[in-house]
This record gives sequence, structure tokens and C-alpha cells, in this order.
Amino acid sequence: MTEIKHHAYLFDATRCIDCRACMVACSVENNIEMDKTRLWVAGLGVTGTFPDLQRGTMVYHCMHCEHPDCMSACPVGAYTKAEDGPVTYNPDLCIGCRYCMNACPFGVPHFDYDKGIIDGAFIDKCTFCPQRIYNGEEPACVHTCPTDALEYGDRDELIAKAHERIAAHPDKYIQHVYGEKENGGTSYLIISHVPFKDLGLPELPEEPINEVSEKVMEMTIPFAFGWGTVLSMVAIAAGKHNQKKEAEAEKQAEETK
Amino acid sequence: MTKTISRRDFLKLGAAGAGALALGQMLPAKVAQAARAAGHINAEGDGFVHSMCEMCVWRCGLIAKIKDGRVVKLDGNPEHPHSRGNLCPRGQSGLMNTYDPDRVLTPLIRVGKRGEGKFRQASWEEALDLVASKMTEIKNKYGAEAMVFSSTHNLSQPLFENLLYGFGSPNYGTQRSLCFNAMIVANTMTYGMEEPGRIYDDKLKYILLTGRNLLEAISTSETHDLIMAIENGAKVVYLDPRYTKTASKATEWLPIKPGNDLAFHLALLNIIIGEKLYNRSFVEKNTVGFDELKKEVARYTPEWAAPLTGIPAETIIRIAHELAEAAPHALVHNGWRTSNFVNSFHTQRAISIMNALLGNWNKVLVAAAGEESGALGAPPQPAYPRISALRLDGVPWKYPVVPFKIGVFQELRDNIVSGDPYQAHGWFISRQNPIQSLPDRGKTIEAFGKLDFIVTVDIVLNDTAWFSDVVLPEASYLERYDPLLPVGDKVFLRQPVIEPQGEAKSALWIYKQLGERLGLGDYFQYEDEEDYIRQQLKPLGVSLEEVKAQGFAELSSAEGEAEFSWNTPSGKIELFSDTLAKVGFPGVPTWEEPPQPAEGQFYLLTGKIATSTQFGTQNNQLLHKYSEEPRLWMNTKTATDLGLETDDWVEVTSEVGQIHTKLLATQAIRPDCVYMTPGYGHLSKGLKTAYGVGASDSAVHVTYTDPISGGQALSQTFVTVKKA
Repeated sequence: MTEIKHHAYLFDATRCIDCRACMVACSVENNIEMDKTRLWVAGLGVTGTFPDLQRGTMVYHCMHCEHPDCMSACPVGAYTKAEDGPVTYNPDLCIGCRYCMNACPFGVPHFDYDKGIIDGAFIDKCTFCPQRIYNGEEPACVHTCPTDALEYGDRDELIAKAHERIAAHPDKYIQHVYGEKENGGTSYLIISHVPFKDLGLPELPEEPINEVSEKVMEMTIPFAFGWGTVLSMVAIAAGKHNQKKEAEAEKQAEETK
Repeated sequence: MTKTISRRDFLKLGAAGAGALALGQMLPAKVAQAARAAGHINAEGDGFVHSMCEMCVWRCGLIAKIKDGRVVKLDGNPEHPHSRGNLCPRGQSGLMNTYDPDRVLTPLIRVGKRGEGKFRQASWEEALDLVASKMTEIKNKYGAEAMVFSSTHNLSQPLFENLLYGFGSPNYGTQRSLCFNAMIVANTMTYGMEEPGRIYDDKLKYILLTGRNLLEAISTSETHDLIMAIENGAKVVYLDPRYTKTASKATEWLPIKPGNDLAFHLALLNIIIGEKLYNRSFVEKNTVGFDELKKEVARYTPEWAAPLTGIPAETIIRIAHELAEAAPHALVHNGWRTSNFVNSFHTQRAISIMNALLGNWNKVLVAAAGEESGALGAPPQPAYPRISALRLDGVPWKYPVVPFKIGVFQELRDNIVSGDPYQAHGWFISRQNPIQSLPDRGKTIEAFGKLDFIVTVDIVLNDTAWFSDVVLPEASYLERYDPLLPVGDKVFLRQPVIEPQGEAKSALWIYKQLGERLGLGDYFQYEDEEDYIRQQLKPLGVSLEEVKAQGFAELSSAEGEAEFSWNTPSGKIELFSDTLAKVGFPGVPTWEEPPQPAEGQFYLLTGKIATSTQFGTQNNQLLHKYSEEPRLWMNTKTATDLGLETDDWVEVTSEVGQIHTKLLATQAIRPDCVYMTPGYGHLSKGLKTAYGVGASDSAVHVTYTDPISGGQALSQTFVTVKKA
């Protein structure tokens, strides 16, 4: 494997057979409790009317966004976006506010309602298997995939590979690599034979949602000052107007006397 | 997001039986001493050990990660041709079989009534003495043949056979007649081998799958091969009454009418021969019986097959043309679990013959030696005593062409019930679960009632162990050695990655201990498991330590010219089989009308899913966690007509039994069929995760045996379905 500057996954829905080996592998590797999971199956499944049928499912976990909304929403900085790709969560900082859950467009962070404040670690999500990838191994989900539907590598290289594959089979694939640009890019890239919305993926603008919100939020201070100035001027103008009116009224009163 | 497993569904599944235990909370077991001695495990108890999976019979190579003396992760061994570094969900979950909280870890002796599940713990001494004395008592009183032995497709099978034949019983039950007898006997009659190997290379252009659901009934490397063949542009035509995951990836899905695959394949032969599209030089040089075949298939026109199969004549003609066009780089896949109807033997023969007509030998199909290798050594042993008693399963007196090693399991059970030609009195069962595997569960339990003594070797209290008198706890596949497995030019090792938990022991140890108590010690001439394997390795000149280090040893590859000879009576591929004709069966594939469901009845189909193997993995908490709730599939339109909806409870009735299960209305099945996932509906309360989940297919399956191959016709059961 070449040196990986930016860790990423490529998921190919045409190769996925929905066997769930990845889900089991993750559960074992990360010692996930039996009633919890870090990967899900999504999609419409079988659609159409017998015998004209189609099937589309995908498996997904944290998309490891380039501009993570969970991180922007977190008031205590419990999320970190590593320069080399992974979005990580620090349970020691988490206060359990669940803002990240609402912020994530993919519904990834899951809240553990069984755990009290003392236990910490309210949120559970994919860690990108740091114990494996920083020891030269593939993440557990990728490593076991019997059909290579899940691949791991450098983000730029995977994007190139994805484009190459969809271009080689134009009649098979939707000509788009989901996650290359969506929401400013993700490190979980998806190619598919069915529309991405049928796999359960949201339609997202290229500009990251959190950058839009950050731009708005950045306006707060100038806006506060600006609006203050406007109001002050209104107040001054109004004051002057009133003074003028009062003066006129006084003048009138004097005249009517 | 739209999810087929939403978080809520997921939790529902998780709550159905599994506790909230994570693997890290399971009890630790001692690290394998041998692994430590070999240097795979350091002083802290951490390391990696190479071994082999046993979650199904594909037997992938694995690398177990050990931490603090516990196995914490399994990954595929990239050196093993069956796994190539990958494991399927069953392989990934394998350590949960080993750490199953329901493991039986001491010998058990029944104290309550049979089936009550009341046992007391016993020592190995007591349990083995009891088993040996009961077996001897039966032998002395009724003859050795009154003891039935059954076990299937395990690496320890040669030692099991020593126990059975050394004891002097002819009654050998394997699972194969419930699975692929039709395929094995058909290939044996055609090619002189059970199953030729298949090559998926870049040249492969066309694959015809007859119900081989390779993307759900996973054989790791072959499943990978199929996906890559599709990506490389091979055309895949798939016949199945269900829209399986394989159907969804195939180029063309043909929802054929059950029981009529034979008509489809006979019509293909008709076109290929009638239009002279076969490989003439190959057929002339390498086959016998072409004229008889030609004469027989002349009447099977595509127009004749169309109404039977529900596939238009022009489609059948087109597929025949496409196959011929792609030949010899075309594969007509035999399928695996192939005994679906009593005419399935002919279907399999037609498939085997089609490959020969396409001339794909040594290009797509190749000779496969099976699982025994002459290159390996073995401990010395005496010849078996002469056995004159008839086999209860009718081989060969009723089923003349079924191999002894394979047998007709359902017939064996039936003749235990009938007591004909003689009464059986005891049953020794190893790593097998006839109560779940055989059709007509009620009848199997009735057979148990006829027996004085039943002993089961297993790792959990499966349904059969639950009804047994003695249960002997076997070490799991991660805790024991097994005899070596040759694959290609290598021989692979299963070795303990942890020490056996509790009192569990390997089959090699159990059979030897029992053999010695029965006076059969000469059939078990090895000190222990390692000594057995050392004797196997002796001719190779490789030490056990070397094999333990990398998990395999190289066999000297005697690759010569690609051969064109076959182990049949004629030495050629037999399109017409004289062997079959001599015992009164048609020598070439011949049409036999399959029975059909009556008005208001459905074909009951079963078929594998990726997250379970037969009936042996439903108690695995990790597989349970990621399996969908088993429900009865019914076509949406049919369900609507019957006033049924998804998740309604329904009553499913066949002529032998009735079950209650939930319904799944789906477009993915023919309107005249229903489908259920096999292997659920366990009776044993010793399986706390699996108990109470789903319904049992074996409770409703009717016993029908293919008269030629002895295969159980698993899709020939017809049921009625109504709201419960």
C-alpha cells in the first residue's frame, strides 16, 4: 500500500451483497455491545413489481466529513477532524447535549441513553479503527469484505479509482462519486447503480453546511454593531424629530396663546 | 435516512434474545499452550495464530488475534485460497461460537425424561464408560448394526469412520442426502468425480446459475470470483423462483417455476444438439453415448419447455445460442444444495452433460481430487471387520448408485421408525443435528423414541443434544486440532488458538478414548492430536512446528499436462451411463413430471442467508445481532388477495406439520411460492439466544426421496397459509 496522506473509504454498491460481514467485523474489532452498532444497512432494498425488480442497499458508518457538522455543533470541542482524515470523538469532553446528533446530515452519532453523566461516552460512532490503520492494517470493515465492495486508501487515489470505474462502465453506474464534493467532501465515498437517494443518502450542496452557518455566525458581531449603529441613528433621528416636533408644538402653543 | 435495518429495527433484533454483553465481558480462557510454546504468543498472552474456520464447510484460512490469552479478532488468511484474506459474516462471528454463554463445558448425563432438558454434570471417565458400556450392551444383544452412527463432512471424519466400521456397524448417516446428493451422484456418473473444480478467469464470458445463490450462500472465494466476473463483463443468467441477492446482481433473472429446471435444461440440450452447436471434436474424442442422448432430447423442444418453466421458448433458444457463442468459456454451474425435487438427479445430469457439450473441460471445469491426499501419512491401522448386515438407509439394496460415504439419511431415519429390515437400538451422533436437519421433525423425534441410547458430541445443547442421553462436549474449532486439509498444492492446519474451555475435548481425543474402551485401540494409534498430525506430515518431511508457524505446508506439485481422462467405467465423460442403465434407471437425462401444489397450496422454498449456516449458528449472538427476523415470504399481490400483511402471524400447514410464523409480503418471490429461512424454531431451551426465534422448516418438510440419487426433495413440500 502506498503512503496514505488522507485516509478514506470507497463503497461500491454494485459489489455489495449485503452480507454484513463488515458489521460483525466492526462489532468484534471494537468490542461493541450486543445491542449497539456502528454500521447500518440503508436503502430502499427491492423495488419494482414482480418480475421487474431492482435492488439497492448500502452499508455506511461515519462519513468522516471534511467539514464535520458534528464538530461545528459541539459546544465543548469533543470532536476533532484529523488532518489525515478521521473525525474522532473525545468522550472525556462530551457533556451529552446531543447537538452533534441533530447536526449530522447522515444521522451517524448515536446517543447512549443507558449511560449516565458519570459514565461519560454518551455518543458512539466509527473511529476509523486507529488501532489498525496506524499499524499498517485496513479498517476491520474493509479488511473482511468478501467482494471488495468496501475499499480503503488515500482519498485522492480512491476518487481517481472511483472515476475510472464508473467511466469504464457507463451503462452500469450513476456517473457521480458521492462524497467527493457533497457537503464539502467526505472521506466515505460512494458509487452506485441506483440513484443515491434510493440508498438513503441526502442531497447536499457542495458548499459545506457548517461553512454557510459559520458565515452567518461570523456576521453576528458586525451585524450587532451595524444594527446598533442603525438603531442609534434612528434613535438620534427620532430624537431630533421629536425635538423638532416639540419645538414646533411649543411654538404653536405660544402662537395660540 | 431510509434504512432496511433502522436503528429501531436493529434494537428490536438485538433485544430478541441476546443480552447486552460485549465480547470483552466474556469469560477468559487460557491461551493455547502450544501456541505459546511455538512463540506465536508472547509472555503477556498477545499474538497471532494461523488456523482454519469451521463456520461452514468452505473452511477459510484465518488468523486469530490473541490478547491477554483471549481470542479477540479473526481475520481471513491471505495465503489461503478459500479466504484470500476475507471472512464472511459467519467467519467473522466465529469467536462468539467459542465464547457462547450456552457452551456445554462438561459431559452431561440425562436425569429427566428425554426432551425435558434435565442433565447432570459428569466426569469424562464416567461419561465415556457409560457410552462404551451401552454401545457394547447393544452390540452383544442385537448386533453391531443396531448402533447407528452419524456425522458429516468434518476433518475428523476418517477417525469417526474408524469408530463406526471398527465397531462393525454399516449404518453411517451423513447430511449429504439433505443437500447435494443429486449433484454428487450426477457428476460421479458423468465425470467419475463428485464435483469438478471451477475456474473463474478473465476469459470466462457466460455463467448459468441454476438456483446457486452464491451471493447469500457464501463460499468466500467463489462469491468474490462471481462478483468480479460480473464486473469484468461476464453474462450471468440466474434461475430462481425468488429474487435473491444473486438475482439482483445477475445480468438476467428468470423466475422459473419450481421443479421444472429439468425441462429448461433438457430444452437447452435439444437446441445445442439439434442445431449442432456443441463442440464436435471434444465430444467425439472425450465422450460416450452421444447418440442415445441425441435421440432422447429430440423431443424436448423449447416450445414444450416454455409452459412448464414459465420461460418463453425464444428466451431458452437465445440462451442456448449465447452459451454456444461463449463456449468454451461458459460455465453451467451445478449449484450446491441441489436436491430440490425428485427429478433433480436428471437436472444435475443435464447440467453436467451440457458442460461437456460446450467442451469447457480444463478451461472452466477441472478435475478436483476432493479432500483426501495420497501425499499425507496416517497412523497404521488394521482392516475393518467384515460387515454383512444391510444398511438401514437402503444403500445399495434400494439405492444402488448412491456411494456408501454419502448415504440416504432420511431413509435411515424412516427405517429406525419402521424397524425394517431390523430394529436399531442406539445412535451415536457427532457434530450433527438430525432433529433440525431431517425433514419431518415429528418423525425424527419418533425415531428417537425407538432407541435405547442416544449420545451426541457437540459444543452446545442443540436440539439433538437436548433429546440425548449423554452429551459429550467437544472443543470448538478455535480450541482444537483436527487432521490436516489438503487444498490445491498446500495442506492446511487447524490448531488451537486458545486452550479448550472447561472440560471440552477434541474429536481426535474423544474418538480415541471411546475406541480404546470399545477394544478398538488399534484404529487410533496416536499419542495425542499433535502426534496424529506429525504422522500425517511424515512423508512431506515438514515439521509440525513449521506448519504451526504459517498454518500450512507445501505439497510437492506434480503438475503435468492437463489431463483428458476420467474415472468412469469407459474412462470418458459418460453422456449415456451404462452403470445407470444396468440397474434400471434411464442412462441419459429424461423428463419426469414433478408434482404440483393443489389449489390453495404453495411451494415451500427454503434457501440460505449470509448470516447463518444450516441450523448450527442461530445461537451465535453476533449473527443473531445482524440477522433479520425470520419471516415467511409471500408475494405482495398474493398476500393482498388473502387479506394478509407484513408482520401478520400466519399458520403454515403441510401434510406432516404446522408452524406459526410472521409474514413478509414482498415482490421478490413468485406468486405460487412461499419461502422461509431454514434452521430456526429450535426446541432446545439450552439455546438461550435462538430459542423462541422463528419457526422450523423441518417441522413442515415432507420426506420425498429421489429414487436415483437418494436426495431429499427439499422444495417438494406444499403448504397452505392462513392468518393465525
